[in-house]
Amino acid sequence: MSYELNVAHLYGDLMNTYGDVGNILALEYYAKQMDVKLNVDIVSLKDEFDADRYDLAFFGGGQDYEQVIVSKDIQGKKDALTQFIESDGPMLAICGGFQLLGHYYVGADGEKIPGIGALDHYTLAQDHNRFIGDIVIDNEDFGEEYHGFENHQGRTFLGEGEKPLGKVVTGKGNNGEDQTEGAIYKNVFCSYFHGPILTRNGNIAKRLLVAALERKYPDQDFSTLEKMPIPATF
Amino acid sequence: MSMRSSVASFVGRSSYWFLHTFFKGGSSLPGKLTLKLDPDILKNLGAKYDVVVITGTNGKTLTTALTVRVLDQKYDNILTNPTGSNMAQGIVTTFLEAPKSKDAKPVAVLEVDEANVIEVTKYIKPKAFVFTNIFRDQMDRYGEIYTTYQKILNGVALAPEATIIANGDAPIFHSKELPNPIIYYGFDHEPDSEMKAKPNTDGVLCPVCQNILHYKSITYSNLGKYYCPVCGFSRPELTYSLNKLGELTPTSSSFEIDNQPFKIEIGGMYNIYNALAAYAVGRFMGVSPSQVAKAFESDKKVFGRQEEINVEGKKVTLILVKNPVGLNQVLDMISTDKTPFSFVSLLNANYADGIDTSWIWDGDFEMLPKLNIKAFMTGGERYKDVTFRLKVAGVPEGKLTVEPNLSKVIEKIPSLPTERVYVLATYTAVLQLRKELANKGYIKEGMTL
Repeated sequence: MSYELNVAHLYGDLMNTYGDVGNILALEYYAKQMDVKLNVDIVSLKDEFDADRYDLAFFGGGQDYEQVIVSKDIQGKKDALTQFIESDGPMLAICGGFQLLGHYYVGADGEKIPGIGALDHYTLAQDHNRFIGDIVIDNEDFGEEYHGFENHQGRTFLGEGEKPLGKVVTGKGNNGEDQTEGAIYKNVFCSYFHGPILTRNGNIAKRLLVAALERKYPDQDFSTLEKMPIPATF
Repeated sequence: MSMRSSVASFVGRSSYWFLHTFFKGGSSLPGKLTLKLDPDILKNLGAKYDVVVITGTNGKTLTTALTVRVLDQKYDNILTNPTGSNMAQGIVTTFLEAPKSKDAKPVAVLEVDEANVIEVTKYIKPKAFVFTNIFRDQMDRYGEIYTTYQKILNGVALAPEATIIANGDAPIFHSKELPNPIIYYGFDHEPDSEMKAKPNTDGVLCPVCQNILHYKSITYSNLGKYYCPVCGFSRPELTYSLNKLGELTPTSSSFEIDNQPFKIEIGGMYNIYNALAAYAVGRFMGVSPSQVAKAFESDKKVFGRQEEINVEGKKVTLILVKNPVGLNQVLDMISTDKTPFSFVSLLNANYADGIDTSWIWDGDFEMLPKLNIKAFMTGGERYKDVTFRLKVAGVPEGKLTVEPNLSKVIEKIPSLPTERVYVLATYTAVLQLRKELANKGYIKEGMTL
């Protein structure tokens, strides 16, 4: 294949609750169509995250217990991850991954669980309620509509420099209040969508892959890939 | 039994007789009536029995059926509850309709959902609990594996003297200190090597020091000879172990437990675990290994889940799939078929199926292109999700037919290129398909899940 991308699957052995690996499979599926080879590594507890080695990162969601363990371990990767994000490294973060990139989330027992604060959002809990169901959002900047399934207890509020991934058309979104869903910051895409998100929204997969290619191969022109049509899968 | 209990029990029995005779039903109403008249009835009914409670995510029904078969070798008229009636009132009904047993203390084997264990132990002090496994099961309804295990333990806490007979290959069953005596069963059929579970496996953290567990062997998912390389936590010693796997086919499995040969007329590694659990209960209750072997061979009807349906000469096997671990086990099982076959996958997302279809991405569909499959078909209400899943797995589009409508799926089966057809379907898809099969006269009406 013509191009290669190194992908870090952050805590892929712990943050894997809702078919998260489907996002890796979808990335591989679309990468193949783009003639790009992906080398996927699990970067987990006590592993180093090498910001210079990776071209793309994926961070999924986990169970409460696993997320607390990850919250502790990820503090050791905070600097490298922040460096990766600030230098326009493309990343997809779902559910727990989304929450842990922010300042903190409030767990089931009311305790504040720290994130790495690389993005400026925070997440509160809600009592005896979860946002569960099909969701559709609209991203006006991209002129794209995204479809998925949300299932989260957390209510996330975006901060400085963050745009939502989309405006809620049907469903609850980040917090059920402000019509936002997910977040975009530089080349980081965050969402509460399972589905998993990339299997129903190939356009986001394309955006991530193209961003990673442009960053790694700055002298190449990837405009034809940007125009590659993605047939609907839902 | 107190006067009150006797009256309550009489009312319950009469109502059961009435309902059963005139309405061909009566699974929970008699129990409800009896419980109303005497809330302590279950205590009185249950105290007369040695009760074995079987719980866990996968394999409860078959383990219960096999355990009854095994104990039948030694005990008379074993009491058991029909699948689905494992709430308190259903269990009261089970006791009320019990036939007389010759044993001084008769035996009851009860299948109980994880969250309902406490509903049973409030009244009954079981002699033994069987823990089959805990996997993620449609999380939008049931919650996380640790929550599920805690629900079971809340029930077990009311019966601290009962012996726990647990799957020793499941790390979660070794994660809490319990006052109960514990017997473990598991697999010991391979020489030690060094490995980790597949990345998208649940429950791989060491419960002591929260590092990732390693394994010396893995049967499937997170089950195996686990150990923690950091703190030394490891699989407990097994009281009963499977020491050899023989021939495995989609319809039978041969193996050795404690160096004795056994055969069951059903495929799938998970069913060998169920057999091993039934063996462990049998041994615990004084049944000999040769009696267990006889029990396993004595009746094939217990394995009714995988019936073969004849559709215009095609041999169609309909298999229920409901979570990734179960799905992977079914895929492993059909991969042992030596003849070429066709593969049909039907996906619904109604409440009973789990309304979130993301679990299909944790299924190992990537193995499909490597198998001897001549044709693929996808269908059901969420046919788009499962179709894209197969495409991503590398199934060639030329071999794939998409047919959302289940009635038409059946019409297309006769033109599939192989005699053997496996149909994997979620719960409501199974129900709908069976109804259509009955309408077309391929099976009799009714449900044998």
